[in-house]
Amino acid sequence: MQPAADATVFIVDDDAGVREALAWLLRSRRLLSAAYASAEEFDAMLATGFRPSQACCLLLDVRMPGMSGLALFERLAERNLVQAMPVIFLTGHADVPTAVDMVKRGAFDFCEKPFSDNALVDRIEEALRKSGEVLAAQRAKGELQTRLADLTERERDVMELVAKGLPNKLIADQLAISVRTVEVHRARVFDKMEVKSAVELANLLRTL
Amino acid sequence: MTSHFVPATPFGRRRLTSWRRWSLWALLGVLVVGLLVTLVYLASRYEASQAQSAVERDVADALSDIRSALTRNVQTLQALQAGQFNREEWQQEANKLLRDNREWVRIEWRSPQLAVLSAADTPYRPPVFARFERDNSLPEVQQACTTARHISSPAYARSHFVPQADGTGLELLELCLPEVSGGRVTGYLVATYSLGELLASRIGPQLGRSQEISFTEADGTRLAMHGLARRGSRVFTAQQLLDLPGSTMVLRMDSWRANPDVFPNVLTALVTVMSIALVTVLFMLGHDTRRRLRVEQDLADALAFRKAMEDSLVTGLRARDLEGRTTYVNPAFCQMVGFSQDELLGLEAPAPYWPPERAEEYRRRQQVRLTGGNRPPREGFESVFMRKDGTRIPVLIIEAPLINAHGLQTGWMSAVLDISEQRRVEELSRASQERLQATARLATVGEMASLLSHELNQPLAAISSYATGSINLLAESPAHSDDLQLALKRIAQQAERAGRVIKSVHDFVRRRDQAREPVAPALLVDAILPLVNLQARKLGVRVESRVPEDLPRVLCDRTMVEQVLLNLARNAMQAMDEARVAQPSLLLQARIAGTSEIGKRWLEFSVADVGPGIPEEVKTQLFTPFFTTKAEGMGLGLSLCRTVVEQHGGYLVFEPNLPQGTIFRFTLPAQPAFPART
Repeated sequence: MQPAADATVFIVDDDAGVREALAWLLRSRRLLSAAYASAEEFDAMLATGFRPSQACCLLLDVRMPGMSGLALFERLAERNLVQAMPVIFLTGHADVPTAVDMVKRGAFDFCEKPFSDNALVDRIEEALRKSGEVLAAQRAKGELQTRLADLTERERDVMELVAKGLPNKLIADQLAISVRTVEVHRARVFDKMEVKSAVELANLLRTL
Repeated sequence: MTSHFVPATPFGRRRLTSWRRWSLWALLGVLVVGLLVTLVYLASRYEASQAQSAVERDVADALSDIRSALTRNVQTLQALQAGQFNREEWQQEANKLLRDNREWVRIEWRSPQLAVLSAADTPYRPPVFARFERDNSLPEVQQACTTARHISSPAYARSHFVPQADGTGLELLELCLPEVSGGRVTGYLVATYSLGELLASRIGPQLGRSQEISFTEADGTRLAMHGLARRGSRVFTAQQLLDLPGSTMVLRMDSWRANPDVFPNVLTALVTVMSIALVTVLFMLGHDTRRRLRVEQDLADALAFRKAMEDSLVTGLRARDLEGRTTYVNPAFCQMVGFSQDELLGLEAPAPYWPPERAEEYRRRQQVRLTGGNRPPREGFESVFMRKDGTRIPVLIIEAPLINAHGLQTGWMSAVLDISEQRRVEELSRASQERLQATARLATVGEMASLLSHELNQPLAAISSYATGSINLLAESPAHSDDLQLALKRIAQQAERAGRVIKSVHDFVRRRDQAREPVAPALLVDAILPLVNLQARKLGVRVESRVPEDLPRVLCDRTMVEQVLLNLARNAMQAMDEARVAQPSLLLQARIAGTSEIGKRWLEFSVADVGPGIPEEVKTQLFTPFFTTKAEGMGLGLSLCRTVVEQHGGYLVFEPNLPQGTIFRFTLPAQPAFPART
């Protein structure tokens, strides 16, 4: 399965030759890429409030003058981006142990230079897919949050009890309101949360 | 009392002090003499006053004796008077009284008209009035009795002189007792005293040998005296008034003293002064002794302290007199050279701790030193001593002239420091320094390898990307010739870039070629021996090096070749250690390898071990870079070694060592015997 057409591969490497070569390789596989010459540049871009909306991943060189790849990875982790933007480290022979350590700490994978071939691109596509999934989940969660935010306080109380599977009568007793009122609220909740049944509502709430 | 005008020279000061000392002595003499004179004067004054007061006392005693005697006598006579005797009885009584009292010469009983009724004369002398009629003394009797009648009590008359038949005379004193009955005088009792006898009988017994007692008139006319003084040169006189009713006399006492009383007084004074002087001297002596004791104690303390210090010093101390004899050594020195104090003291050159092969040189040096030929260097000089067991020890000797209390030089004091430890530390520090340098060099090699791998990685990664991309594009049809062209161009560029990296390494290596210098093979081996030995000691390897002295020098990059030797030696030791060889030994050798056809001479170095040898499957890969059999090895050692040797134009090979082990050999060019002119 191909990742979305507008998925972007970010490349951070201080070596222009490597950047261009990688971009070229990705293009040969119909992948978009955006290259940055230093970790600082990419970090500045993140600081402007950039949040990935499309599937993306980051090819990150470990050894760079100035801010190293590892430091940039730390910054991503601080911003909670390593799920939505999986990181693949580009390492020389000497940096392998470090890269392994990074994978344990949430990096997606690492690739040893000078072997950037199709296997790497395959991993990149996997990363993009993962990124897409994460973003979709995040979006769904976000929508659910906005729907929940629409509910009044009384509606929320009723919803919680409905999700537990209590009949209207009991709910009315607990909240000291009439069964009629409960029914009205219930209907409003189903309407706002775009569900048809109490079971569906319970499933939806479980994703939170 | 220091004077500002006295120059502060020792001489001036000495003169001043001597003058002061003499004046003090003179003053002391004057004082002593003055003291003596004063003492004598005072003593004689005292003696005189003592004598005077003694006389005064005696005369007062005599007076009271006489008074009481006279009073008692009056009572005796009154008893006679009251006796109511007839004439014969009275006569008898009176005679008895006269026998008892020598001072009376005559007692008379007289009528109221003073007619003698009865009289008695003293039995002790011829009758007093034999030559000179009694009537001649009637006026005195009358005077006494008149006075007595007037005062109705006994009374005396003035004394009068009665010449005697033998040509002498007596001074007599009449006493008259009135006899009263019914208010009328019925008679008189007259007793005649001899003043001389009175003195003799009443005072005589108590009188001293040199005393004279006498009655005199108020004007000093002597009436009677007793006692005969040996006439001394000084007389002390005392007088007392004897006031009797109707008569007044003076009792005078003369006491004679010998005048040369000065001598005993001088003696006394001398003794006194001597005693004072003695006590003073004793006191001063005591004080002096105490001070001496204190000083002695301080000295003893200082000595003990000095001794403790000398004994606790780790520095050896040795003193020599101007003849070069050893006069003092401290325990540290003895310990250093292993000889006891008794074996060293008093010895002349050559000292037993001089190594025999250097004794002559040392003797000359000492000769020069003793004759004042050269000053010893302040920072000391290094020398070699021999212990008693023959081992040589390097020492640092610091010499200083020994100056005695008079400021004269009496010899030399040497502080001797054993610097073998220092040498060892220096060796160690040098070894560790070298090890550090080697490590640094290795680190540099590691750094360089890492840098190179990174530098090469980049173009290779790019090439790999382009190549893969191109393959991807070629798999599609139609082929994107433009893209492929670009990719191939980039591949060429990146390959060139990789080539440049390789070239820079070559340039670096070529730069090292200029660092070639002629080095003696022995020096190359010696340079690494400390490091090798360090490891050898740890692993228990016996290291032997056979490098003949007469080998020609090697033309090489010294540092690199040392590294090669070190690397081979270490490999050998590690191999033996890992295989747990029973008696590991390492042999470093250098020899002439032969001459090539163009007259170039070669030297061959070899490193031989008795380890497990090299397995067949390893032999082929041994010099491959990054091939290693060690856990932490980089796989660069041997390949670098071979590279270094080959850069010098030599070769590096290995072969089995018989019966076991491996020998690595490599050749290096020798310096041409006749260096070509450049």
